[in-house]
Amino acid sequence: MNKISHSFDIHKKTILTLLLILAFIWSLFSVNWGPELVHTGGKATLAQIFESLFHPQLSSEIINLALIATWRTLSYAVAGMTLAIIIAILFGVLASGVLAKSELSRRFSKGVFRGILGFMRAIHELIWAWLFVASIGLTPYAAIFALAIPYGGILGRIFADIINDVPKEPIEALYSAGASRIQLLFYGYLPMAASDMISYTMYRFECAVRSSTVMSFVGLGGIGFQIQLALQDLNYNQVWTYMFFLIILVVLIDLWSNILRKRLVE
Amino acid sequence: MQQLNNIFELNNISKVYERKIAISSLSLTIKKGELVALIGPSGAGKTTLLNILANVLKSESGQLLISGVLSDKYNSGKKLAKKIGIIRQQFDLVGQLPVVHNVLAGRLVEWGFLKSLLSLIFPQEKELAKKALDRVGLLDKIYEKTSNLSGGEQQRVAMARLLVQKPEVILADEPVSALDPARAEDILSMLTKLVREENETLITVLHSVEYAKKYFDRIIAMREGKVYFDLPAEKVTDKLLSDLYDLKELN
Ligand SMILES: Nc1ncnc2c1ncn2[C@@H]1O[C@H](COP(=O)(O)OP(=O)(O)OP(=O)(O)O)[C@@H](O)[C@H]1O
Ligand SMILES: [Mg+2]
Repeated sequence: MNKISHSFDIHKKTILTLLLILAFIWSLFSVNWGPELVHTGGKATLAQIFESLFHPQLSSEIINLALIATWRTLSYAVAGMTLAIIIAILFGVLASGVLAKSELSRRFSKGVFRGILGFMRAIHELIWAWLFVASIGLTPYAAIFALAIPYGGILGRIFADIINDVPKEPIEALYSAGASRIQLLFYGYLPMAASDMISYTMYRFECAVRSSTVMSFVGLGGIGFQIQLALQDLNYNQVWTYMFFLIILVVLIDLWSNILRKRLVE
Repeated sequence: MQQLNNIFELNNISKVYERKIAISSLSLTIKKGELVALIGPSGAGKTTLLNILANVLKSESGQLLISGVLSDKYNSGKKLAKKIGIIRQQFDLVGQLPVVHNVLAGRLVEWGFLKSLLSLIFPQEKELAKKALDRVGLLDKIYEKTSNLSGGEQQRVAMARLLVQKPEVILADEPVSALDPARAEDILSMLTKLVREENETLITVLHSVEYAKKYFDRIIAMREGKVYFDLPAEKVTDKLLSDLYDLKELN
């Protein structure tokens, strides 16, 4: 019986794969294959961009500018993530329902806060950025809030799931030792969830740096804004300088989070 | 007055899962200060009975009195925790916390929110934890991460928590089944010794008849949801035991 349903599953998979391949081939026909498909000057530009990869502009003036811009991007990301973590812990705990006394209030708390978190992350940070720029102007706060809301939504949802997945035996033992809901949270759920929560947050922090870069295209300053200006001047050598700064930043954060994660596992 | 001496009184307690009868019309009395071993084949209903005594499982019919008071009256976790302490296999501790916090968790029933939060940074009433850990021989591990301890050591930490919690009765469900024989005897002799010293009552589900006879005063054997025999430990004969674990179905 199990075998039959298993082979049926494989069958379904094959059919699905075939369908997807067919859809892909069909989509190729709808492309207008002609000389105008690729922008005529494109090849030359591409070559130029590639060539300047090896000649980033390294004048002290540009480096200085890049440093300041990188610092700004990083500060937006750090401030945004800090706010996001606070939101996520608060809403995540409520969305996990572990503080609720009765089954009914647990469902209510889970439903409401999972809904709020869903709304926060359903809207992309760029759209939040536009909304905040439109309402409070081109201030750093616009960038920080625009990051904090969707990232708070994502982190909060994951935190809630991590808290719900914690082993039940130690929690029951604490409960039978007379711990209240809030004591269960601090002596059971949070200590057991902490390492997963921190390691996911570190991963998200890396994403926040990239988001913060893209967001500065909206005009909020930072490394993305400098890249945009350089691109408008067709100054690809400068573009690469900024790109390298961005790459170094992301790599450094990755290294740091690896060290932190290793320490947590021990 | 007789009633005050009874920590548990069960009258015709029954528990049914779907169609399976786990406990059928069981009546028992357990006196203060008794050390009771609960034995019987797998599926006899030992865990179910222990969970009913712990008031975490409600029986379908019958009546349970805890210290002469109807079990329904113990409706808050805190009230129950002062009466009943529970110890299971060694998976009951929060492995990520240092030993001291797992021991002091036995004080959460008395502590308010702020004190318990502060204690995670500056352990409160540390002397209490130290004394308890000293009695189970683990004083040197007080700041060790709990998950680094062996299974037997973790069970001793769980006992230290119970020493701090000071319940009137301790219910234990196969507390040594995950340990090697030497470790198991060590834990059982320590548990029974501490319970005697503290004048507490102990009810332990055990798979080993040998340990039951060696460390306990009274042995209650269960089979198919009923009490098969209930005797002082020294009166339990090999004949009774072989009948108890006989694979033939009862009628
Ligand atoms: N949650 C449950 N749902 C359905 N049936 C259950 C449940 N818990 C226990 N049972 C059934 O009730 C009966 C008694 O189970 P119980 O766990 O009390 O046995 P036990 O004596 O503790 O056995 P063991 O020695 O294997 O731990 C068993 O037949 C079991 O299948
Ligand atoms: Mg059992």
